[in-house]
Amino acid sequence: MGLHDNQVRLFVVPLIALLISLSFAVQLQAREPYASTYQVRAVAPFVISDVNVFLGDGGELLDTRVWVKDGRILALGEATPEGRYIHVEGNGRWLTPGLIDVHSHLGDYPAPAIASTRDGNESTAPNTARVWAEHSVWPQDPQFELALAGGVTTLQVLPGSANLFGGRGVTLKNVPSRTVQGMKFPGARHGLKMACGENPKRVYGARLLAPSTRMGNVAGYREAWAAATDYRRKLKEHAADATKPKPDRDLTLDTLVGVLEGDIIVHNHCYRADEMAYMIDVAAEFGYRIGTFHHAVESYKVADLLAREGICSAMWADWWGGKLEQFDSVQQNIALVHKAGACAVVHSDSARGIQRLNQEAAKAMTAGRRMGLEISEGEAIRWVTLNAAKSLGIDAETGSIAVGKAADLVLWHGHPLSVYARADQVYIDGYLYYDRHDPDRQPRSDFSLGTGFAGGTAAKQGTTPAVSTAEAVGKVVVTGDQGAVEVTR
Amino acid sequence: MKSASLHGLRTVALLVGVISFHSASAAGSLIRDVTWYGSGSEANPVVTDVLLVDGLIAQVGTGLTAPGVTEVIDGRGLHMTAALFTARTQLGLDELDLELTTVDSRLGEFGLTGPAFDIQYAFNPASVAVNVNLVEGVVYGVLAPRVGPDLLAGYGAVANFGTGKLLARRTAMFGASGAVVAAKFGGSRAENIGRLRRALSALPGFRARGYVPNPGEYSRADMLALSEMVKEHKPLVMHAHRAADIRELLRLAADFDLQLVLSGATEAWQVAGELAAADVAVILDPLENLPLSFEQLGARLDNAALLHAAGVTLAIVVSDLHNTRLLRQHAGNAVAHGLPWPVGLAAITRAPAQIFGLQVGRLQQGSAATFVLWSGDPLEVTTYAQAVMVDGRWIDPTSRQTRLFERYRDLDDTEATGFKYR
Repeated sequence: MGLHDNQVRLFVVPLIALLISLSFAVQLQAREPYASTYQVRAVAPFVISDVNVFLGDGGELLDTRVWVKDGRILALGEATPEGRYIHVEGNGRWLTPGLIDVHSHLGDYPAPAIASTRDGNESTAPNTARVWAEHSVWPQDPQFELALAGGVTTLQVLPGSANLFGGRGVTLKNVPSRTVQGMKFPGARHGLKMACGENPKRVYGARLLAPSTRMGNVAGYREAWAAATDYRRKLKEHAADATKPKPDRDLTLDTLVGVLEGDIIVHNHCYRADEMAYMIDVAAEFGYRIGTFHHAVESYKVADLLAREGICSAMWADWWGGKLEQFDSVQQNIALVHKAGACAVVHSDSARGIQRLNQEAAKAMTAGRRMGLEISEGEAIRWVTLNAAKSLGIDAETGSIAVGKAADLVLWHGHPLSVYARADQVYIDGYLYYDRHDPDRQPRSDFSLGTGFAGGTAAKQGTTPAVSTAEAVGKVVVTGDQGAVEVTR
Repeated sequence: MKSASLHGLRTVALLVGVISFHSASAAGSLIRDVTWYGSGSEANPVVTDVLLVDGLIAQVGTGLTAPGVTEVIDGRGLHMTAALFTARTQLGLDELDLELTTVDSRLGEFGLTGPAFDIQYAFNPASVAVNVNLVEGVVYGVLAPRVGPDLLAGYGAVANFGTGKLLARRTAMFGASGAVVAAKFGGSRAENIGRLRRALSALPGFRARGYVPNPGEYSRADMLALSEMVKEHKPLVMHAHRAADIRELLRLAADFDLQLVLSGATEAWQVAGELAAADVAVILDPLENLPLSFEQLGARLDNAALLHAAGVTLAIVVSDLHNTRLLRQHAGNAVAHGLPWPVGLAAITRAPAQIFGLQVGRLQQGSAATFVLWSGDPLEVTTYAQAVMVDGRWIDPTSRQTRLFERYRDLDDTEATGFKYR
């Protein structure tokens, strides 16, 4: 059966690497549990011509062509690959990489947001590192299709922030699927959601449990890492010498050991600069790395430190003020992190915000420029593409338009940094999953059927269509030197 | 005569700070070649000169000369609109949502508001959130009590955030219908509406003296507040989402001659014709396209466009008080989804004033010099407020946020502290 060919190809290499690097076995399974069954959909090679491209890495290419074959970027510009290529007329539109949201609760806090769907936070103990967000995700959440219409091709779904350790996050491709496994991004590492500050101490303190203070928070992290260090040592000893006792399987510590081994990326909800500095020290004490601080409202205060440590900040453009740890927000936060040379990411944490990450990047860019900081449009796009991919550890695979990478693409109506922009077409691994002008290319969740939910998007088109559907697609064009003729989709 | 580009003006403001800026009354300012969006003619912006005298827009026209003015502003590239007006907000009522000592828009965590509740006494013009939004052009707001769990939450007031004064008190009654309040009455929308109908029916015979409510009925103070609303034809702003709930409110308004305004209104597009026929205006957040509850299954991004097409008057609001400044982005998104651009601008400037019968929020010759100069298309996310004037005074553009930015913009590794801590 060819069904799992991709699966095998994408997993065998990292698996072998894992086996080699781990001379001991961390409860190693023959096959990763709950493995991805995502399949790249077969599609004929195509070329998008006459497009202006934000590459995702900060750069841009004007009036160029993007060639796609087998779901991958084959070439950019005036290439002349062999074979027949379907032609997609760009008509001077902008093309960007698919947008990536590193902080989402789609599926684990789905719509409708009612008690029976509230699956995003196992807030029953301060350390629930044992839970996996993917086991809560409802693939029929109608919010996925709304995010797709906003150009989002990849997202990390995280557990909530009531806990010191909230559990594992999962990176998904934003594709319609009957199962969560069918959405899981092949080869993407898990995230571990951790949380600083007010939430853990408020939630557990109110129940007269630890933590009830910030010092209680830090003690909670340290105790857990100490236990994980001990567990890891026992696992290693057993792996090296089978006569040594094997520790009982502990799902919570499995996750933390995964972090210590570098197999799981820490995504740390942390607003305050001083708490970030403490979390960096906790990580140093126990020998792990922090991947990204999320909601990092005060990153601008320690942007130099974050640059030095190589830690990403996932930020909002301007959201603030719900509580004291969100009080020191500035609209230049993202721009200042960028200026310091640190990794700036725009995230949403919102089923509304995920639909317009491009606008959030535009506002952050504008706030910086207003204060005299030099930020190119390409750099602003990078905050919602390549830097986000880096945060998730999938930047070798997606996040920029580069030869060999996945053809995760958004073709925009209007400039992507404009409030009036709309995603015309959204491709994931080269497959056109969304077309604004074609109802047959607009995925609908089961929940959307017969409930009256109209997909949340306009049935009618915007008022200022610079490019009509008929112009955008449907042309018969000759491509390359081969003279191949195809009718566009 | 001082000639200052707006950039220069901002620089001066940042340097000299609050006091001098507030004292710099622009009794005599000439703005040259600004793109002017006069109220009522937003569809036809014109490049013109604008003369401001004694806190009023004295003259609008090309080639104006005014030898006596104290400042001349080069308005080239700037866009001048009426100040932003939010038709419903808790700005100036709440500071930090989770710190209840700073939350005055509701009574306690579970809310015990009723018709007699009157928000006017809670307005705090010194709120940090007020200033953060004012410097981005948000000058007017209808302060509303948070709705639920009672059907009626009490009276709202109207604030001018630029002067810190209330323009109107007991302006409109606010309430909500649907799931958020149904729970209080055993979970049924039927009793929800039924109770209000009984109270309204009792009004003609209501005498304050001697009134003893039965359990579950409104208090004497509540009945007085209700009576005031009906007698004085004050707007009743009801938050509702489901089309069926909206229809019940329309029937209620017709039966009792109420000046209904609809708020929330996720499924209002399904009732657009009936709303237009009843002349009921709608206050909505145009980004509300999630089917978050079973009463919002009809959520869609072109709700505003469909309502406008049917002839409904619209006001656009932002759900989050701290980011009321995003009124422009919200209107812009409505435009991206089919709302005509001039209607989008009106929905965050003059339409709210119109809905609440207020004589402010217009940009025209003779009106108060209360406006914003924008760096570009007022509804665009890459645009920002270059300057805000309220009743002839420039608003100091610094806020807590700009001060924090200035403090950390240049981190200095050579100092142990690394920032400008003084």
